Amino acid sequence: MSAAQPFLLELHCEEIPARFLQPLTADLSAALTAWAAGQNLELTGLEVFYSPRKLAWRAAGLPLAQADQIEIQVGPPQRMCVDEAGQPTIQGQKFAEKWGVPFAAVRFEQPAGKKEPCAVVTITKVGRPTVDLLQEALPGLVAGLHVPKAMRWGNSDFEFVRPIRSILCLLGDQVVPITLDGVTASNTTWGHRLFHRAQPEPVVVPEPAAYEAALEAAGVVVSVDVRRARIAEQLNTLAAAVGGRVVADAELLDTLAEIVEFPKIVCGEFPPEFLELPKEVLVTSLREHQKSFCIEKLDGTDLLPCFLTAANRTDDPAGFVKAGNEWVLKARLYDARFFFAEDRKLPLAVRMEKLMALTFQRDLGSYHDKTGRVVAITKALAKRLSLDEAHMERALEAARMAKCDLRTLMVGEFPELQGIMGGEYLRHEGSHEEVWMAVKEHYRPAGADDALPVTALGCLLSLCDKLDTVGGCFAVGIIPSGSKDPLALRRSGQGLVRILWERGWALTPRDLSGVVLGIVGPKATKPIAETTEALLAFFKDRVTYQLELAGYAGSVRRSALAAGWEDLADLKARCEALSGFADDPRFASLAQSAKRIGNILKDEIPDGNFDGALLVQGEEKELAIQLGRLEATTDQAALLGVLADLAQPLEAFFGAVMVKCEDPALRATRLSLLHRLRQAFLRVADFSLWQ
Amino acid sequence: MHIQELILRLQRFWADRGCLIGQPYDIEKGAGTMNPLTFFGALGAKPWNVAYVEPSRRPADGRYGENPFRVYKHLQFQVILKPSPAKVQDLYIESLEALGIDFSKHDLRFEEDNWESPSLGAWGVGWQVVLDGMEISQFTYFQQVGGQDCRPVSAELTYGIERICMFLGGYDNIFDLVHGEVKTDDGVFPVTYGEMRQREEFELSAYSFEHADLDLHRNLFASFEKEGWRLLTDHGHFLSAYEQALKMSHTFNVLDARGAVSTTERPAVIKRVRDLASGCAKAYLEHQEGSAATIAAAGKGGAL
Repeated sequence: MSAAQPFLLELHCEEIPARFLQPLTADLSAALTAWAAGQNLELTGLEVFYSPRKLAWRAAGLPLAQADQIEIQVGPPQRMCVDEAGQPTIQGQKFAEKWGVPFAAVRFEQPAGKKEPCAVVTITKVGRPTVDLLQEALPGLVAGLHVPKAMRWGNSDFEFVRPIRSILCLLGDQVVPITLDGVTASNTTWGHRLFHRAQPEPVVVPEPAAYEAALEAAGVVVSVDVRRARIAEQLNTLAAAVGGRVVADAELLDTLAEIVEFPKIVCGEFPPEFLELPKEVLVTSLREHQKSFCIEKLDGTDLLPCFLTAANRTDDPAGFVKAGNEWVLKARLYDARFFFAEDRKLPLAVRMEKLMALTFQRDLGSYHDKTGRVVAITKALAKRLSLDEAHMERALEAARMAKCDLRTLMVGEFPELQGIMGGEYLRHEGSHEEVWMAVKEHYRPAGADDALPVTALGCLLSLCDKLDTVGGCFAVGIIPSGSKDPLALRRSGQGLVRILWERGWALTPRDLSGVVLGIVGPKATKPIAETTEALLAFFKDRVTYQLELAGYAGSVRRSALAAGWEDLADLKARCEALSGFADDPRFASLAQSAKRIGNILKDEIPDGNFDGALLVQGEEKELAIQLGRLEATTDQAALLGVLADLAQPLEAFFGAVMVKCEDPALRATRLSLLHRLRQAFLRVADFSLWQ
Repeated sequence: MHIQELILRLQRFWADRGCLIGQPYDIEKGAGTMNPLTFFGALGAKPWNVAYVEPSRRPADGRYGENPFRVYKHLQFQVILKPSPAKVQDLYIESLEALGIDFSKHDLRFEEDNWESPSLGAWGVGWQVVLDGMEISQFTYFQQVGGQDCRPVSAELTYGIERICMFLGGYDNIFDLVHGEVKTDDGVFPVTYGEMRQREEFELSAYSFEHADLDLHRNLFASFEKEGWRLLTDHGHFLSAYEQALKMSHTFNVLDARGAVSTTERPAVIKRVRDLASGCAKAYLEHQEGSAATIAAAGKGGAL
């Protein structure tokens, strides 16, 4: 094994879209690792770097050459290779020729497994220099990267994410002169674009270890983690300096770290009169248009008239960066304020009519149609939940207003503000708080990490809206399968199940399916029975996943689900109780017995009616008494206690009683007893699935 | 900087770097890309560098001359470089320096922004160029035009002239920009963008949002389409047919501004424009191939 040297490859490109940086570096890391393993080269300590114009990989060690490989080749028996005079035979010479050695190099030994001495040669395959191997392989590895939106440039047919303008490739201090699309690697690269306006010479990187420092001196921080950390630090310092704190946004922080090569955070101001805009509008406008953070007061209530954004340079010597961003932001906020004022000139409700021209889904009609269905669903469910008249009226009002903001200018500009704007506009119109809150929150939860609506009406409206979306789509044959879920029905379905789960409402998926399919009715293109079945299967998957999200152990989930999944409140109570008992040793025994009962009842299904007086042995009489106790218990938690108490009597029963005895009457009685026990178990869980 | 000074400097800059200076094409259009100097120039193998100003009409962006940032019609400065030079980004930065932007004091970023024109059957990848937080240009490597692969690839640079002027001068209202100065025996009279254009903005906005006759436009759209296909299929005339495609595109934009095209019918209507434009692109390439020998023999160049 020859000495290892650090290895460095950097592709210097025109600005690469931020979203491709991480995947591309990760993909080539994997390809490089696999290639090295295939070449018997030990690649150690591989790390990646990226910035808008750079993709780079550095290994702490890569051998300078493959190790030599020694192989022993065995040929024909000695007697066939050498004649009586001790001269090589033709066969002997051919063997030497085959392995490229003089006959003198052939030895005669008796290898293990052979009965006589044979011709043997030792071949040394000399390992090839790594530089040569890299030169052959790297262009193919880079060209083989999967680039989702590849491009061509200039006269070439070469495709990559953006044009490659220079390549830095070193093994130790030696250049690996690979060539890609006519660009040949050297030991130089380019620093920050603006740095080179004054400094036309490229940056020399003498060895891989010098990479970060050489580039930092030329205005580029090549590590995204370092950039992110420096940005976070500056954000906090600058926000504190104006007496506030940053409105956290991890995604935006990542974005800023990916779009600059040198992170300088600039704090700008906007005219305070824009603070009359809703906080969400300001935060969204600043984020979407200017990739800027907002600053809020330390108590988290209002915003300060300041923003923080990243510049791609080391400083802002003339204040132009601050002034420029302020100028642009003012134009954007001017727009937002214009929308906010225009939208409020008319009551939100006047948009209702305009919803007719906004298609929700081809077969399901417009958002006006959808609103009609959501109102009907809300009415049906509110009745089932026994809402009083006042709440019912507010729920229906919220359902009527929920989608109107889709026709406002503000939501046209910022689709992510749907719901929020409707709520805000209703609040300004003086709607009841429950109504505007429900509208404002009815898109929540937006994902697994998002909270549910805070208010009960918000949850109800969210549930009804999602139910219409899911049920409606299923009724016209749009059903998610595999990776295909273009309308994100799984996310809607999961949100719906989470609301039921956390609110503990007495509504089952079967009820919901019945309600929604009844209301979608005439629009349906599939038979209702088929749709119901598909919907229930879909909801069962969502409920199963909900149990996982809630953090229950696998054995709890499996056995609880098998005993019924449709009554979510009951399922939750059973899961809670089971989780509490999971460590009880009696449960393991109970599970054993349950499996045994399952096996015994596999072939014969008794009717469950039996006369206890027919039982003869003490163990079975005791079991019958316990069964009575069990059947009389209604409370779930207590039920589990009684079940656990059954472990010992069951063990005793199976130890002493022969169930399938000769006497047909006794045998039937015993089987019925076990059947009744199993039915009682299944009220809680299918213990045969407990492991 | 006055608008006309900005245009003159850009023209000088690109002429000095080997670009033809072209002229706007006299048919309404939504973007400078639609000028035949770009649409046909980006097709085929011949080297082709051209720069020109193009007035671009976006009926839906009309604000009656009341919004200080948004207008129905704005000016684009368009540069096409085929094949895209290796130092195209540096060239672009030098052009900004020619406008007096000193990069020792400004922030410049190239942010992903891929361009697509469904009605031209064209797409490319590239960036929006952001100066101190402000988008000042679009930068695109054309991959396809008129449904045809671009080989070689052209780089397209589009400067938003009014925006850059506003930004450089710190203007808060587009109509306060100064187009240039009129000098007479009686003195010097600066002429603002507002004086030249505000009334036009008002009338054109009113036209596209209120007064345009929708039935007329629907009929025009169909008539231009029919005329275009007749020219293309009966006569093999791709230039006059392409003019019909441009007229279809603008007619569509007027209808669209009025909300007269529903979201469901929209893709199909756009496809009708694209089909004609793509037919023109294909006919152009076939014509180029057919006449390549003749042109080579005659020693004449030029993309058209």
